[in-house]
Amino acid sequence: MIELFNVSVKIDNRPVLNDISLQITKGEFVYLIGKTGAGKTTLMRLIYMDLFPAKGNVIVDRYSSSTIRRKEIPFLRRRVGVVFQDFKLLPDRTVFDNVAFALQVIGAPKRTIRARALSALSRVGLNHKRYQMPHHLSGGEQQRAAIARALVNEPFILLADEPTGNLDPQVSTEILALLESINRSGTAVLMATHNYGLIRQFPHRTLLVENGKITAGEAP
Amino acid sequence: MKLLFLLKEGFAGFRRARLAVTITLATITLALALLGLFGLVAQNLSDSFQRVFYQIRLEVFVDPSLGESDFQTLKSEIEGIEAVQSAEYISPRAALQEFEKDFGKDLVAVLESNPLPPSFRVMLKTGRSRPEAIQAVVRRIEALKAVDEVVYPENLIRLLDKYFLLGIVIAAGLGAAIFIISTLLIFNTIRLAIHSRQRVIEIMRLVGATDAFIKAPFIFEGVLQGMIGGLLAAGLLWLAGDLVRYLFLPGLAVPWLYLAGLVITGILLGFIGSYLSVGKYLNT
Repeated sequence: MIELFNVSVKIDNRPVLNDISLQITKGEFVYLIGKTGAGKTTLMRLIYMDLFPAKGNVIVDRYSSSTIRRKEIPFLRRRVGVVFQDFKLLPDRTVFDNVAFALQVIGAPKRTIRARALSALSRVGLNHKRYQMPHHLSGGEQQRAAIARALVNEPFILLADEPTGNLDPQVSTEILALLESINRSGTAVLMATHNYGLIRQFPHRTLLVENGKITAGEAP
Repeated sequence: MKLLFLLKEGFAGFRRARLAVTITLATITLALALLGLFGLVAQNLSDSFQRVFYQIRLEVFVDPSLGESDFQTLKSEIEGIEAVQSAEYISPRAALQEFEKDFGKDLVAVLESNPLPPSFRVMLKTGRSRPEAIQAVVRRIEALKAVDEVVYPENLIRLLDKYFLLGIVIAAGLGAAIFIISTLLIFNTIRLAIHSRQRVIEIMRLVGATDAFIKAPFIFEGVLQGMIGGLLAAGLLWLAGDLVRYLFLPGLAVPWLYLAGLVITGILLGFIGSYLSVGKYLNT
């Protein structure tokens, strides 16, 4: 369901990924490791088509990077959830509104929005804080809210770009346990991380991004 | 639901970014007020010039030996000229009365007879004509039989015309500059206001909102700001106009069309500014 064929990417004329091929199957959990700037984020941007390869092809669900039209990209993104290290929550809205926002902006009916936002918040264990503003939450809770927002559209894959980068070890473990539970319910997870301890604690297929190539890796 | 959400988001934008919205509104209001002020000054100056032109009369002196019916024929002939609005017959007696009224002297007592010839006072159709056009009319009247002389303030007309043209050139240049500056100012303020909310746009893109859905609340907000700014500017000008009329210039005109034009300009600039600005973030 996600396939990369001989993909090369240049950013500002600098080669970042060079002739890589990769497959992530339905419901898989995959770690991406590698130094900062190695191309982990680039790989994720290719998947939600925020970036297009200079060469090769990226297939995500039924969309192909070589044929997708600009106006189809939003529909692809509704099938892909993304969370970041810095959460990217809207500071002037409550947790509930942040999650509901992802449904409002795709024009979902009001009743659906409420039901699905509450369900997503329950999944991440944040229902009781739904009317709080993001700055009243801890880092771990903010990341949970971001995960709820990413899940609310029921994506087939969740891309997590260093989701524990700003969190302490205990909270990081909780977030990973949450991602695992999401994965067990059928959503694939691709997670970029530097936290090798977590990989050892929750082992899954691990890919190393290095020198523009992707190889099977393992936590050092 | 969608429309409701878009309207709600548009209005909520006002509440969420109070400072940015206040600055944008103040900028739009002042820029439009400046534009409107310039337009009003230009319009009123132009009106004053036109009034002077409108008051210009050609004095057509005719042969005193003509009979009553000849005057009627001549009047018809003069009024038959395309650019002539009307020709009023002034008998020597009426001319004398006017003279005495203006100068307070009993002319007949001094000269023992009325020296003033019969004449026509000719009013031209257009409020303002080029000196050449007036001259052409004068020549046509002079060519009529029984017309002795046509007197009119030729030098004044040339002077006014020269300064009127110069005024138009300066006003057009200044007006264009003020319009460009106002437009850039408004665009830039809207761009900054939208820039301050690029995270919202980023998240909307990330969760799969279509371009149209992302643009709509920002454009709605831009139009609303433009409209409110236009209304405030129109209100300011109206009040200022009232004050100036009361204090210095009773004849000052503040046409409603101008005020409506300001509101429409505000709406258009708000629309274009927000459309371009939000579009920029969608294309990155």
